[in-house]
Amino acid sequence: MLRVTQTKNSLLDGASIEEELYTTPQDGKNFFENLDKPAKEPTKLEPRNTFIRAGVLTTVRGSAYMEYGNTKVLAIVAPPKELIRASARRMNMGVLNCYVNFAAFATGDLESVPERERHLGSMLTKAMEPVVCRTEFLNFQLDIRVLILDDDGCLLSTAINCCGVALVECGISTYDLITASTACIYRDHVFLNPSAKVEELLLKHRGNANISNPSSVQEHGLITTASMDTFEQIAQCQQCGYLTPDTYVKLLDYTLAINKSLRQLVRGVLTKRVKEQHELDLRDKAESALEDQRLGEIIDKLKTQGLDEFIQTNIKEDPYVKRQ
Amino acid sequence: MAYVALSEAEKTYILHGVEDDFRCDGRSRRDYRPMELETGLVSNASGSARLRLANTDILVGVKTEIDVPNPLTPEFGKLEFFVDCSANATPEFEGRGGSDLAQELVLSLQNAYESPLAFDYRTLCLIPGQQCWKLYIDILILECGGNLHDAVSLAAKAALFNTKLPRVTATLLDAGITDLIISDNPYDCTRIGIETVPLLVTVCKIGDYSLVDPSAEEEVCSTVSVVVSVSMRNGAPYLSGTHLTGGGAMHRDTMRNCLQLGLSIGEHLDKLLIKMLKQEQERVGPKRPQIVGFLK
Repeated sequence: MLRVTQTKNSLLDGASIEEELYTTPQDGKNFFENLDKPAKEPTKLEPRNTFIRAGVLTTVRGSAYMEYGNTKVLAIVAPPKELIRASARRMNMGVLNCYVNFAAFATGDLESVPERERHLGSMLTKAMEPVVCRTEFLNFQLDIRVLILDDDGCLLSTAINCCGVALVECGISTYDLITASTACIYRDHVFLNPSAKVEELLLKHRGNANISNPSSVQEHGLITTASMDTFEQIAQCQQCGYLTPDTYVKLLDYTLAINKSLRQLVRGVLTKRVKEQHELDLRDKAESALEDQRLGEIIDKLKTQGLDEFIQTNIKEDPYVKRQ
Repeated sequence: MAYVALSEAEKTYILHGVEDDFRCDGRSRRDYRPMELETGLVSNASGSARLRLANTDILVGVKTEIDVPNPLTPEFGKLEFFVDCSANATPEFEGRGGSDLAQELVLSLQNAYESPLAFDYRTLCLIPGQQCWKLYIDILILECGGNLHDAVSLAAKAALFNTKLPRVTATLLDAGITDLIISDNPYDCTRIGIETVPLLVTVCKIGDYSLVDPSAEEEVCSTVSVVVSVSMRNGAPYLSGTHLTGGGAMHRDTMRNCLQLGLSIGEHLDKLLIKMLKQEQERVGPKRPQIVGFLK
């Protein structure tokens, strides 16, 4: 990682005494040179290696765990509860709240965590609002909590995917399946599903080597798109950086293509989960049928033996009470 | 957004107006409501602006402070946005009611101003790696009449234009420490370039049509809006941050059309704003405009 830790010297009035005062544009350039770079224009539009599992926690009704490459995210959806705030009650729709938390070990850069949590939470709420049938739980609020276990880029899109699965697992009605992905452009290279290193270079260093030449504009920017593909709807499309409209549409199309293939995966995971649940239900049913049968036998016995005899045969001696 | 109670009949009326390209207040879908803009009316701030867009009333003050730059970006100054939703605007903002909306506005502004191409952070640099200006942009929402994103960004840009940074000279002391001397003369100041500073344009979708500058009533009728941040550089529009808001979804082609509309409106708006600001600045001497403030 490209990071500078400054040791402040209070005697020197806060001035730094480190040799390496700060990163220079050259540092950023070297760091970029050392990265694994894909071809300038992507050839394959596909997601990273993905693992999704619904229903990982037994304590809440809807939960999902997702690994997107090295990014690991856990989402929890609790059943809707009544609204506390009276002012939000006047809207004729349910209220959706998303909270994002970083695990203490998720990221090396602890300083910016509260701000990122707030930003991600707000963007996640905006992305999930279109997909949930909010008219169905009037005067109720739905809380979605996301825990980030490991951060290797694409946090927002992974969180959206994971929440989409958790919502279905919880049995909340949704209009469609939602999938999301990220693409970014930096120094004319298009990165699909950018890693944490690329995102850091893009957002924290803010491409500071780019502006040395004011006449030419070097675009840089990141797009996160969430889509619902049955009717090709875009639920959220968040962009930051500096892009021409043409590049914007190009990146948008890349992310939409990745969303399509992710959708197949999510769908597969959910159908498998439903089958699994069906089998569990069948087993439960068989067990309860067995129990019914046992009880039926006892009742039959009771009928044939008569009450007194039945009680006598079923009395077990209490070892602590001496028989009179 | 602020809540307005509308019946189904009223909503239908607004919807039909939008379909016929003749809105309730007589505008077409591409028109803005009348604006009043005044700069330099807060004497305690380095720069200030007040914008009234029909019923929406915004007051922006810019304060300056000297800070240490981030080691990752030694040549850059800092910006910090703060939005306060006054309870005067709507009763809903009482207590902590306005904090969600305030946070949304702060995040959109931060996102739009983040790129060094959108705002030249180098003009805020004093000594690279050691001292820089930090600007606090405090935004006060006095009245809520719809279209807050646009109004806030316009007022912020005007306030930045009005901001006067005092000239600073540095002397080198022992052990490599620098001492800053800030000029006493209030007219000895530097300005901030605002050519590329982005404007936010909200493109609102009502029924099958998209329109700009929705009033509070029209916002209630809309399903989804795109907030497009337009930054002009070398005469060409660039996107410096967009997102969808309003709890709906849209098709890719609709989105493209909305972007196009937002970009062309933003370009026009930017040109007009800069023209008006320059005009106000050039009126000196006896022609100097009187500060009107909130008295009409």
